[in-house]
Amino acid sequence: MTCASRRRHGATAALVVLALLSGCSNLGQVHPWEKGKLAKAVMTFDDDPLEQRFNQHIYSSKEGASGGYGVGGGGCGCN
Amino acid sequence: MVTNSPPVPPAQRSQRASGVLLAALMLPGLAALAALVPATATAESAPEKSTIAIQYGTYEDRQPGFDRVTVHAPQVYVQVPVANDWAIAGSWVGDSVSGASPRWHTERSSASRMSDYRKAGDIKVTRYLPRAALSASLAYSDEHDYTSRALGLEARWSGDDNNRTWIVGYGRALDKIDNTGSGINTAIDQHRRTHELMAGVTQVLTPTDIVQLNLTRSMGTGYYNDPYKTFDQRPDHRDAWIAVLRWNHYLGQADAALRSNYRYYTDTFGIRSHTVGIEWAQPLGRWTITPGVRYTTQRAASFYLDPVLDAQGRYDTGATLASAAGITGNKSFDTRLGSFGAATLSAKVGYAIAPETVISIKFEQYQQRSGLRLGGSGSPDIAPLHARFLQVGLTHQF
Repeated sequence: MTCASRRRHGATAALVVLALLSGCSNLGQVHPWEKGKLAKAVMTFDDDPLEQRFNQHIYSSKEGASGGYGVGGGGCGCN
Repeated sequence: MVTNSPPVPPAQRSQRASGVLLAALMLPGLAALAALVPATATAESAPEKSTIAIQYGTYEDRQPGFDRVTVHAPQVYVQVPVANDWAIAGSWVGDSVSGASPRWHTERSSASRMSDYRKAGDIKVTRYLPRAALSASLAYSDEHDYTSRALGLEARWSGDDNNRTWIVGYGRALDKIDNTGSGINTAIDQHRRTHELMAGVTQVLTPTDIVQLNLTRSMGTGYYNDPYKTFDQRPDHRDAWIAVLRWNHYLGQADAALRSNYRYYTDTFGIRSHTVGIEWAQPLGRWTITPGVRYTTQRAASFYLDPVLDAQGRYDTGATLASAAGITGNKSFDTRLGSFGAATLSAKVGYAIAPETVISIKFEQYQQRSGLRLGGSGSPDIAPLHARFLQVGLTHQF
C-alpha cells in the first residue's frame, strides 16, 4: 500500500466515524438530570487553556506532528 | 462541554443588541456571520463569570553532556462575558528562549548559540445563540526572524437534547520568515500560507462518558526550510490530515475522571504519527491531583537523511555532509523530522484557596529517543532528548 493510499484510507476512516456518530440517532440518550457528573470540572476537555497551549507549543517545536486541537492558532519559528 | 441553558428572555434583548454592536465594532464581519444562524434556534450559554488566569512556564531540554534550550514563558488569559450573549477572551505570552541548537542531527560540535524573545497574543469573540455559538479569533506572534498572523472562525451547535454538539472551523495563517541573513540558509522575506478546515462532534454517550472526534485538514504552501540547519531543503507545500479522538469517563466510586486522547497525524512530508495520552483527575477536597502519561511514535519524513557512520559505527561528519551535498532535491538533517518515539510522565496538583480561586503546579518529564519508536528501531545514531516542563498557575473567577 502506498503512502498516498494509506493517507486516503486514514482520512476515509475518520470521515466514516464522523458519519456513524451523526447517524446514530439512538446514541447517548442521556437526560438533563443525568448530566451532573459530566458537568464536573474534571470532565471538561479543555479545563486549562494556558496549560494546553504551552504543552502543544512545546511538542510542536520538538516533534514532526502538530495541530488537531483547534484552528487559527498561527505558527512560530521555534527551535 | 455540554450545556443545558434556557432561551434568552425577551427582557435581555436590548442588552443583546448592545453586545452585537460592541462585538461588531471590534471585529467587522462577525455580525454578518452570526446572521447565518436562524434566530429561532435555541442556545449554548455564555459564561456567567469572568475568568483571569496567569501562568509561568519553564522548559529545559538536554541531550547527554549537552544542555540545549531553555524557555521561560509567562502567560495571561482573560475571558469576560459581555451583554449576556457574548464573550471575549484574550491571551498573551512572552517566550524567552536561549541555548544552543545543533545544525545537523544531534551533533554537539555543530551547535549554534541562540537567544530570542517571542511575544504572542490572541483575541476571540464568541456570540452565543440558542443552542449554538459562533466565534472569531485573531492571533499574532512575533520573534526576530518569524512573524505569524492567523484568523480563526468556528461555529458549533447542539441538538435539542444537548447530547451532541457539532463544530466546524476554518483557520488561515500568514507567516513571514526573515532571518536577515543570520542563519546557515538566508531567508529574506519568505512566506508561508496555511489553510485549516476542521469538523468535529462531541457526543454524550452515557451519564459518565463523553467523547469528542475532530478531523482537521491543513494545507500549506511556502517556505518550510529551517534557516539554521545545514543542507535543509524541504518541499514548498505541506498538507496534513489530523484526527483527534478524546474520551472522558467518570468513575463514580473513586469520584475521579479518566481522560484519554488519541491523535493520528499524516502529511505530505511523509511524517505519520500516533499519539496517545491518559490522565487521571482525582479531586480530594480542595485538592485535585492529576497524574498523566503521553506517548507518541513518529515515522520519518521521506527526505530526512540518516547519518553516515564510519567503520567503527561512529558518526562520520564529513561523509554525512558529503552525502547531503550530492543530493539535489529535498533533504534535511533535522531530527524532528526523523523516526522516533517519545514518552512524557506528568503530575499536576491543584488547590482551591477559595471557591473561585485555584492555584496549580504541573511537572512533566519528557524523553525522546529512536528506540521508543513503536514497531521499529527509529532513526539511527541520534542522541536521546530529555526535557522538563514546569508550569505554575493561578485561575480566578469573579
